[in-house]
Amino acid sequence: MHPILAQRKYLGLYLAAWLPVAGLISVLLVFSGRLSWPEAVALAIPAVVLNAFLCLAAWYLCRAFPLGKTGILHLFFIHAAAALLTSSLWVFISRGVAAALSSAPPFAGLSERWGDQVPLLYGVGILLFWLVVAVHYLLNSFEGARRAERRALETQILAREAELKLLRAQIDPHFLFNCLNSISALTAADPGRARRMCLLLADFLRMSLSLGNREFITLEEEITLAGQFLAIEQVRLGPRLMIDRRIQETALPCLVPPLILQPLVENSVRHGIAQLIDGGSLRIEAERRGGRLWVAIENPFDPDAAPADGKGIGLKNVRRRLSSQFGADTRMDIEKSNNIFHIEISLPAHTKDGKRQDAPGNHQEENP
Amino acid sequence: MNDKDSAAEGLSCMIVDDEDLARRVIREHLARYPEVAILAECANGFEAVKAANELGPDLLFLDIQMPKLNGFEVLELIGADAAVIFVTAYDEYALRAFEVHAVDYLLKPFNAERFDQALAHARLHARSGLPGGAPALIAENRKRQRPLQRILIRDGARVHVLPVDKIDYIQAQDDYVCFKSGGKEYLKQEAMAELEALLDAGRFIRIHRSYILNVERLSRLQLLAKDSYVAILADGTQLPVSRTGYARLKPLL
Repeated sequence: MHPILAQRKYLGLYLAAWLPVAGLISVLLVFSGRLSWPEAVALAIPAVVLNAFLCLAAWYLCRAFPLGKTGILHLFFIHAAAALLTSSLWVFISRGVAAALSSAPPFAGLSERWGDQVPLLYGVGILLFWLVVAVHYLLNSFEGARRAERRALETQILAREAELKLLRAQIDPHFLFNCLNSISALTAADPGRARRMCLLLADFLRMSLSLGNREFITLEEEITLAGQFLAIEQVRLGPRLMIDRRIQETALPCLVPPLILQPLVENSVRHGIAQLIDGGSLRIEAERRGGRLWVAIENPFDPDAAPADGKGIGLKNVRRRLSSQFGADTRMDIEKSNNIFHIEISLPAHTKDGKRQDAPGNHQEENP
Repeated sequence: MNDKDSAAEGLSCMIVDDEDLARRVIREHLARYPEVAILAECANGFEAVKAANELGPDLLFLDIQMPKLNGFEVLELIGADAAVIFVTAYDEYALRAFEVHAVDYLLKPFNAERFDQALAHARLHARSGLPGGAPALIAENRKRQRPLQRILIRDGARVHVLPVDKIDYIQAQDDYVCFKSGGKEYLKQEAMAELEALLDAGRFIRIHRSYILNVERLSRLQLLAKDSYVAILADGTQLPVSRTGYARLKPLL
């Protein structure tokens, strides 16, 4: 059904838009014919209202023959034929209206004098129909653009949700099995440490599953999670993995999307420190800088190491999640120099009470 | 390799894993086999290649993911003389490769029965001197890493890792190829055709039967006679270019 007929307020607006047209036709009828003002208005208003409904047929035509998908010539003939047809109907209707009016005493003889107006009414009828067609095409294209936009937004949201689900489920099997092997190794030699390792693993798994369900967590929680991961890796890698935490107290309550830091730390261990014979030190820094939260991770790496499979996917995911959450209001910079891998992210500093911290002027303050 | 009589009594092995705890598990299992001697424990691929060369073990317990050299690369460098049991946590590719080439492997963590099985199986290999599926496995691993990012060269007990972008050109010398890099030379036993297939074809061009050139080092081509060119490198080195070599080089200039 036509959207204008489906909703009463649209119908009212549509008919109101035809009122000036009725006025214009009355003027034409008075000046070109021998009709008096009352006769012209009495004829024009009902004829125009009936024509307004007739012209709604253009909607079906416009839908059946969309612009761009129909040839120009094809379009021309369709709309020419449709205009001739509707205009004939409109002339026929106005004759009916004139005949009906002539039975009333003030409009006697109207139906005889009406005959002179046929060419004028016919021409106006064609132009009016084409005008309505043009308006329909315009509205259709607006509607199409809006629908496409909404669809794009919907797919983006769906993709993001799926990605998040995947991330939650993504616990590196290599990490898990290596961890179990370490526990198996410790059971005979050092049962106490084996139990501690089991507990560390349980804590890490429990926390990463529960945090992943929330939209935002505090940096403190995220750092605790990364710390649990690192504690496990320290059992496995021994003295090869050292950790240097430089975390500012005021940065801890800032809100971040869950599992943003942990993949970065995992990446630094797996592709950086674990690939070095003598290992190295992993540095985690976090600071509040005005209205922004700044987090950096740094580790040594072996530039000659064989390129690992799937390297960079974890980092790409973090970058995508940050930019889908904060848009242009976030940065992630990666720098490799002198066998040091450095990654830093900066995002708006929000805390749990929902307030954005500090003055808005500070938002321009980016990483050096 | 030991002769048959001594092999029936004893077996020598090496444990190669970058994690101390992982080595400890294997050591514990081996304690039940007093006839198996542990010659060395190595925490990385370089050490493993060096120790394997010096000690010549019958059997290697070899982790896959290690710093510097992975397990396949260690095996490639020491040759397929020793029997090998791969020990790995989780690596979809490796598991498939082990199954295909029937190479012994242990999945971390493993139980005593599984360990005994793998050891018994490896012992058979060590005694019969069968190389097993290892050479095919090594070849497949190299193909998987195509285009090659780095060349591994064994020089006695030392291992050189040569990133391919440091190679100027490669020269064939009988059964060997010689990698020239910044005035240094590295020899490796390898066939030119095989190497050519593994290198990045957009960058390393076989300009002659005996030469593969890193095109980034090319300064210009000089016409000697009709259809006969010489490639002049940035450091002034001149290399002959065959007619097919010129045809391969031309589209890149």
